[in-house]
Amino acid sequence: MNIAINIGGAVYPNPVTVASGTFGHAEEFYGQEEVKKLGALVPKTVTLTAQQGNPPKRICETPAGMINAIGIENPGIDRFIDGKLPKLKLTGVPLIISISAHSEDDFALMVEKLNAAGGISAIELNLSCPNLQKKVLVAQSAEATSAVVRRVKAVSKYPVIAKLSPNVTDITAIALAAEEAGADGLSLINTFTAMAIDIKKRKSRIGNFTGGLSGPAIRPIAVRMVCETAAKVKIPIIGMGGITCADDALEFLIAGASMVAVGTYNFVDPRAPLEVLEGIKGYMKANKMTDIRELIGSIQR
Amino acid sequence: MKKIQGKYKVVDLVKVNATYYRLVLDAPALAKAVKPGQFVHIRVSDTFEPLFRRPFSVYRAKAGKVEVFFEPVGKGTKMLLAKKKGDVLDVLGPLGKPFTLPSKSVKQIVFVGGGIGIAPFMLFSDVLLKHKAEKILLYGGRSKAHTFPLNEFKKNGVATFVSTDDGSVGVKGRVSALFNKIDISPSTFIYACGPKPMMGAVAAFAKERDLRGEASMEEVMACGLGACLGCSIPTTKGYKTVCHDGPVFGLEELVFP
Repeated sequence: MNIAINIGGAVYPNPVTVASGTFGHAEEFYGQEEVKKLGALVPKTVTLTAQQGNPPKRICETPAGMINAIGIENPGIDRFIDGKLPKLKLTGVPLIISISAHSEDDFALMVEKLNAAGGISAIELNLSCPNLQKKVLVAQSAEATSAVVRRVKAVSKYPVIAKLSPNVTDITAIALAAEEAGADGLSLINTFTAMAIDIKKRKSRIGNFTGGLSGPAIRPIAVRMVCETAAKVKIPIIGMGGITCADDALEFLIAGASMVAVGTYNFVDPRAPLEVLEGIKGYMKANKMTDIRELIGSIQR
Repeated sequence: MKKIQGKYKVVDLVKVNATYYRLVLDAPALAKAVKPGQFVHIRVSDTFEPLFRRPFSVYRAKAGKVEVFFEPVGKGTKMLLAKKKGDVLDVLGPLGKPFTLPSKSVKQIVFVGGGIGIAPFMLFSDVLLKHKAEKILLYGGRSKAHTFPLNEFKKNGVATFVSTDDGSVGVKGRVSALFNKIDISPSTFIYACGPKPMMGAVAAFAKERDLRGEASMEEVMACGLGACLGCSIPTTKGYKTVCHDGPVFGLEELVFP
């Protein structure tokens, strides 16, 4: 059974990974042998300089989901490369490094540092960051997305995956802009901007006032966005948004995603990605499929 | 530290008083591994409502059984109350950093528990049975409905003092009103667990008297493993996760608004 996936020349042994920001120290929970079963590891987004993150409350539980505003707490790219990357490399699992920056120059600088560090499989651009020139997120502007991807592609020796925001009118327009600018793959989707209010205090339940909604609640919208995008782009898509089990993941693959990532549900069941992988293999076997490509984008209309 | 994900059978659900319940799980591996101050992360439902596990400090770990204290106030704890003997729960644990064991030079150990925050001190007093220090429990509850007989602590050689906000049992006032009941010395070590205002009062008292101590903090949690960084609190060393860097912190590390 061939379940390997190629994104821009980098090969992943299987299509199951974890969404950035949801795995963190869970590797301490996994044994080495279990981590090695993942198709790729995507650590929490790193920025050029250290960020301390947002004040509490950083999370709040919502129906079948959660709102988070962590604020990309991270040690900065240099300390990440020196302190965390060596341990991640030891797992032997392909690494997709998620980065975010406030300018195209900063993105390029981080990519140069990762080029020098070596030993990774791809760079994922977290484009849900403010675009300083315009008052929207980079991922909310086809032009800004295109500019960042183009700049990064010019310097990166690794394949580049653009992670897109669902907070747009037409995600396919942004996806096409990223593809046209040279992106090797897309990650769909990031969280939906959301709010929950404490009616006793009449205050937001999130310290940052608003946050990003994730979890099973958003899955049907994520599946629709992956399906629409896969119909228009040629580059592979890593699908994510509320995946809890193999059946959920299969929806994304059938919709056209080449890989799938478990996100919020890692917080409920850290073993979920392994169960998703086993379930996908079981489905392929039951349906007499020998290659994962028979499954990807097999939606009937 | 080995973390375990297991499915454990409910062997008992006991009403402690008008407010609190005690859940007993048959969990030999957990009972063996857990240290005072650590918590277990329990899935109360296998649906997405509520989505997250709920963290509970371990009250007792004896003879293969693990006990937790809870107050059914929210969606998750109310579902826990509906569990029956024989039900099986998915549990992650033991999680978090435990209390530091007191050195032999500590001559007096003061547990300060507010409400449900008393829970970790039962296990702690079990573990410290052979420690020669004088052991004292200061317990503060909202009212009579929040107190219960502290016989189990007394059996472990712990002297107990009680306060209630309304004065219905013990001294009227917050648990900090009990500080003057004890003769502290430079070799006193304080362990605190309870609501934030109480912890602030304990930290201020320790600072004023130059006492060492630790506090077990509480925050809304998602993963319990230090992955999501959702439960971070401000400390003198920047934001720290309650689930992974804590829940136990040095009193001097904590920052109270």
